[in-house]
Amino acid sequence: MGMQNAKDSFYVALRGRLAAINPERTVLLRAVVRPGIVVEEAEAPFAQLPPDVFVLRWLGLGYDPDLPSALVAEEAEIVYSTLGTQSFGGLDRGRALTEMDRELVAMLTPLQTPKLNYTATPAAAMLTNVFWDEPVFGSVVALRDRLTRSVRVVVYSYEESGE
Amino acid sequence: MATGLYAAPAPVVRRVRGYFAPVNRAGGVPVIFDAAAEGAFAVDAPPAPWVSLGWIEGFQRTAGSRVAPVLTGVPAGVQEQVRETVEAQVSLRFGSWTKLTMALATGSQHMNLLVPGAGAGLSADGGTAAAASVIQSGSTSTLVLLSSADAAKFTAGQMVAVDVDYAGQLGFVGSPVSAAYVRAGITDVDYVRRVTFNVSRVASVATTGLPGLTLAEPLPGGAPVTGMKVQPLAGFVDREGGSFFQEWSGLFLLEGGQGERAFFHYPRLQAVGSAEEMRSALDEKRGGKLERVMLAGAFRALPVTDGLDGERVVCYRSYLPGPGSLI
Repeated sequence: MGMQNAKDSFYVALRGRLAAINPERTVLLRAVVRPGIVVEEAEAPFAQLPPDVFVLRWLGLGYDPDLPSALVAEEAEIVYSTLGTQSFGGLDRGRALTEMDRELVAMLTPLQTPKLNYTATPAAAMLTNVFWDEPVFGSVVALRDRLTRSVRVVVYSYEESGE
Repeated sequence: MATGLYAAPAPVVRRVRGYFAPVNRAGGVPVIFDAAAEGAFAVDAPPAPWVSLGWIEGFQRTAGSRVAPVLTGVPAGVQEQVRETVEAQVSLRFGSWTKLTMALATGSQHMNLLVPGAGAGLSADGGTAAAASVIQSGSTSTLVLLSSADAAKFTAGQMVAVDVDYAGQLGFVGSPVSAAYVRAGITDVDYVRRVTFNVSRVASVATTGLPGLTLAEPLPGGAPVTGMKVQPLAGFVDREGGSFFQEWSGLFLLEGGQGERAFFHYPRLQAVGSAEEMRSALDEKRGGKLERVMLAGAFRALPVTDGLDGERVVCYRSYLPGPGSLI
């Protein structure tokens, strides 16, 4: 079952869109500054979620082979938290979270992206698009001065020849 | 399977986009849609004269055509089939209340509530209106030039209607859409502006320099022609009853996740029911009393004769496959 290209394409699309929406939202990982969205399963385990960064997790999986091209669905969870800014003493953490909510909605729109094979250099365009449903926003969880929200999106793709 | 191609499953779509265009009632000419030439248009910018109504909900097509058997022999068997009737209906819900969606959803004339003049009596479809202002030459679809005195009568944010006086003409009236059919003389000089679709909202007013009204959106009828006047309006009104049927060409687009497009083109649609609204809870999961009130439209497709082969048809369904998909 081929889903890796779809997962890679979804992540890279969101990363590129975030860089355009808010170039200031970055994360320093292994001495490299990158757009502020990471795939949890592709990084070293976090002791605690990094604040002000979108963390993408892959959860459930579905597969429908009874179609001309098999349909694969995987549930993505995007988790993000913030403590606000030091200069405001964290009193702006609500506004900071709202800003991240807004950025996430913008990153997910349009609700599709071309599927590419990122094992090749340069990435090779494939035949179909990866598409997803509207995000489902969870409630904000407040733990002391940290606000955290989880958003779930079901990502779909058609399995292509060779996947 | 050939490389570079894949077997595409049925389209997965999110919602349906609706577009309408006015039928030339005087000439009996509907609006044509050619999917081969026009099918790749951006969803927010349809080719003229189609007007986008945005996303619609509850789109439902019902085929009403009846096929009857021709029986012959003993015992009777089906020799062949014939089409007894050619019919189709479309129903949907509009996502907003605008001049056009209200007019489409209502079964008859859709009128503008002209701001009444001083001392005007009450009337269910608007009393005697305040005097109209003469439009100066050089006006465009977004700039209505007036005298300074006339411009001062308007304020930013007002809605306005632009059209000619009613001067006794019979037949279809209204710009750019045939908004009503006058069978016998009417005494109201503002009647055409009561029914016209040529409406817009004023963005700003200038009383000096180049006095006039800058409109927030272009007039549907384009630049005003000589003889047109402008009046402010308060809102819209339509009626249950009447003898007039609106007629429009309808185009509905289903765009799949793989870039495929299915079009349903109805050259002639007339409302099959009266104005209705449908309510849907704003948040079904949590309950609460907030409801969204949506305009419901139901239309009957009328036939046209296809110039290609002379067949009578009511609807065209076009399909543009997504790139790389096997057909």
